[in-house]
Amino acid sequence: MAAQSARSPLDIDPVPAAKARERRRITLLWLLGAVLVLALAAVALVQARQFAMLKQSVAYQDDYAVLSLYQAEAEYLRLREYWVLAQHERERVDTVALQLRYDIWVSRVGLLHHQAIARLMDGNDEYTAPLRQMEAFIARADKVLGPNSARPLDLAALAALQSELDALGAPIHSMMLSASHHVSAQIEARNAAVRRHNQVALVLTLCLSLLLLAFGALALRQMRLLGERQRTLVDLTAHLREAQHQAEAASEAKSVFLANMSHEIRTPFHGLLGMLSLLRDTGLNTRQAQYLRTATESADHLLTILNDVLDMSLLESGRLTLTLEAVNLRDLLREVEALMRPQAQAKSLALHIDADPGVPEAVRADRTRVKQILFNLVNNAVKFSDRGVVVVDLRRALDGEGREWLEFLVTDTGIGMDQVTMERLFKRFSQGDESRSRRHGGTGLGLEISRSLARLMGGDVTAQSAPGEGSSFCLRVPLQAVAAAPRNVSGALPGEAAPAAAAPLRVLVAEDHPVNRQYMAALLEGMGHHAHFAANGLEAVQAVREQRFDVVLMDLHMPLLDGVGATLSIRALPDGASATVPIIALTADAFAQTRERCLMAGMNDFLAKPVSPERLSAMLRRLFGGASADAAAPAPAPAAAPVLLDRATLDAAMRAVSRERLAQLLRDFFDEGPQMVERLRVALRDGQALDLRVNAHAARGAALNFGLNALAQTAQALHEGATHVPAHEIARLIQRFEHLLRDSRVACEAAGLFEPVTG
Amino acid sequence: MNPPLFSRRRLLRWLAAALPAGPALALQQPSGAVVLTVTGRVGQTNAGGVARFDMAMLEQLPQRSFVTATPWYATAHKFTGPLLRDVLGACGASGSTLRAIALNDYSVDLPFDDAQRHDVLLARLLDDKPMAVRDRGPLFIIYPFDSDAQLRTTVYYSRSAWQLKALEVR
Repeated sequence: MAAQSARSPLDIDPVPAAKARERRRITLLWLLGAVLVLALAAVALVQARQFAMLKQSVAYQDDYAVLSLYQAEAEYLRLREYWVLAQHERERVDTVALQLRYDIWVSRVGLLHHQAIARLMDGNDEYTAPLRQMEAFIARADKVLGPNSARPLDLAALAALQSELDALGAPIHSMMLSASHHVSAQIEARNAAVRRHNQVALVLTLCLSLLLLAFGALALRQMRLLGERQRTLVDLTAHLREAQHQAEAASEAKSVFLANMSHEIRTPFHGLLGMLSLLRDTGLNTRQAQYLRTATESADHLLTILNDVLDMSLLESGRLTLTLEAVNLRDLLREVEALMRPQAQAKSLALHIDADPGVPEAVRADRTRVKQILFNLVNNAVKFSDRGVVVVDLRRALDGEGREWLEFLVTDTGIGMDQVTMERLFKRFSQGDESRSRRHGGTGLGLEISRSLARLMGGDVTAQSAPGEGSSFCLRVPLQAVAAAPRNVSGALPGEAAPAAAAPLRVLVAEDHPVNRQYMAALLEGMGHHAHFAANGLEAVQAVREQRFDVVLMDLHMPLLDGVGATLSIRALPDGASATVPIIALTADAFAQTRERCLMAGMNDFLAKPVSPERLSAMLRRLFGGASADAAAPAPAPAAAPVLLDRATLDAAMRAVSRERLAQLLRDFFDEGPQMVERLRVALRDGQALDLRVNAHAARGAALNFGLNALAQTAQALHEGATHVPAHEIARLIQRFEHLLRDSRVACEAAGLFEPVTG
Repeated sequence: MNPPLFSRRRLLRWLAAALPAGPALALQQPSGAVVLTVTGRVGQTNAGGVARFDMAMLEQLPQRSFVTATPWYATAHKFTGPLLRDVLGACGASGSTLRAIALNDYSVDLPFDDAQRHDVLLARLLDDKPMAVRDRGPLFIIYPFDSDAQLRTTVYYSRSAWQLKALEVR
């Protein structure tokens, strides 16, 4: 409880708090903006008022009004002087000058009516009374001195007006004084106003400065916040990247662990499987045989699951690589058929496997993986059909972009699937439905692996189905046709009867696992071979050095020295016979890199665990020939072996040249044969792979021209294998070439193409 | 009111003014009361180094008139008279400053350039009537205030001397 309450302040939902902060900030901004606008308006107002005041003073300076009053008084004093002078001088009086002075004064008095002065002295008794007094005087004086006055000057009238003129002096003077006081008061008022305005302006300027500072501070704060946010983001990004790395590393580690574990499980498991298969031949009673069958089925199932898991982990860790090679498609289909037909038959299902005529003979593909996908699809079809037929159809397809595809369509008449099932179909660990999976078994990884593999190949696996109407799966891979494909040299299909290889062979088995050693011993002895054992790489090298073996079966994972190391040591032995002993890698390791590493180290081939009797037998037969067959009939699938003599080609050749000329050419070719064989042997002995290739290529070209297909194929195998096939294999191929040369000659002679050489 | 433009008398006067009549006495003699005396740097004089004008002589110069508002009258009025630059031209005046002197001895300095840059009037008629002394006559320097806002300032108002009696060219 305490911890709960202690935590709660920290756990406040940050969003409302942030929102409140945001709202406060926005309000503050609005407030600041409003104050700024007000301050600016106030400044404008003050300036407008100052401008108005200035304009007022410009309209007519009050100073000038005072000046006018002053001048009016001055002119009055001068007029009075002239007036007195005129009465003194009498006859010599300058009338014009007096009149001028009078007029000037009158003009000044006229000016006092000006609105500016009137405004200045507005409502002031000291102003209006003297003004009226002056006007009254002018009205009377005009009769004497005005424009329409009589000439000469009426001196009596002048004298009469004298006292009146004198009486004007005091009011004019006080008027002037009053105006000047008034003006100075006004100036003082205006100055005060200006001062006041200045004060206001000062305050406003202060306000503006403060606001400016506030905005500056705000901007600074905003920038700092922005910077902080960016730093946080950068940190977060780094953090996320780190987390992602960690997650990826963890996932990778898990995949590797899974791969290793399944591999580790497989090693002892192979021993178990081997022992089970050996147990079968030990004369069991019916009941024991039944038990053994069940055990074997369970073990097979377990192995399938293990393989699936291994494949999945390889696919996930991106370590699964495809091994592209020329694949004969019809062979491939035959293999699928051979494996699946028994299962189909067991369920009374018809199995039709067919290839369109447009499908090329051979394509570039990963044979094992394509087969794996097809097995999975066909296996599913068989599994989920209780009657009817499973059809495998191979065809060529062209998509909208002009690319060519190879499509394997696997169609069944089984239970079908609804839409929901279809959607889950390719997802991990999902199976059609629970009850079905219980009935049919499986890891649920099969289709996902198939699809992943297909996508790795650049293609896909798609499905179409409806409940009760069967399903149709389509494997689609890019079509990469190749000119020719070698026959399936790996030969025997699993389950095919395995005739024993030429026996007895001396076989060294380098294997650290005792159970596996026992199994291998039983297996080899069952085939009539002599098995010798080495528990690690060092022992293996030692054994090869001390005695001759026909073949070494080399486990890759051994203590002290592993298989690759041992192979390198053996290949480096001084004794030629020991150094060239064929070495076959034994491993459950499915990585393509491992296989590559083996071949690079100088191993000749690769035998995947679990080692079944069939596969071991096939491998040995491939290396040493069948027990009853000799080198003249090496092809493991005689039905598909190329003919010695292709009549069509020969006929074409005959159309091109005369029969005699052809006969001569053939004779020359066969006569040249022994030298050709000799050249190949020399090249092999001297390790001149390039010479080997060139000679083999020339032989192939010639043989093809004459339609000697079997010969041409052997020459091609030599040509292709020159750089990487082990020496003993090359030697065998050369020998086969020699035999075929002889047989072809016989065939040609039999065909009556040319006369046999006599003598 | 004005005499005909090509009266015999005027024609004769023009001819007299046009003829070379000696450097110091190029200007004709005033026949009426002298209303304007130009002193200082004057090229053409008619009495002891000064140029004196009567109203008729000013009337003979090209006349211009415009209506403008002024600070001295409540409403706009029409002013008529010769341009200041024509008057200065008639007496061959040249300098940098003009001092205008009024009947009441008020004086003000105006730049000589003002006469060239602005159509400054030496007004002798107010609303087509001669101005009496009491109406700020007989001569009134008037700037064309209404045609140029720059002129409507105290500086130019103060340069507009009324009851003008003399010009001193410096």
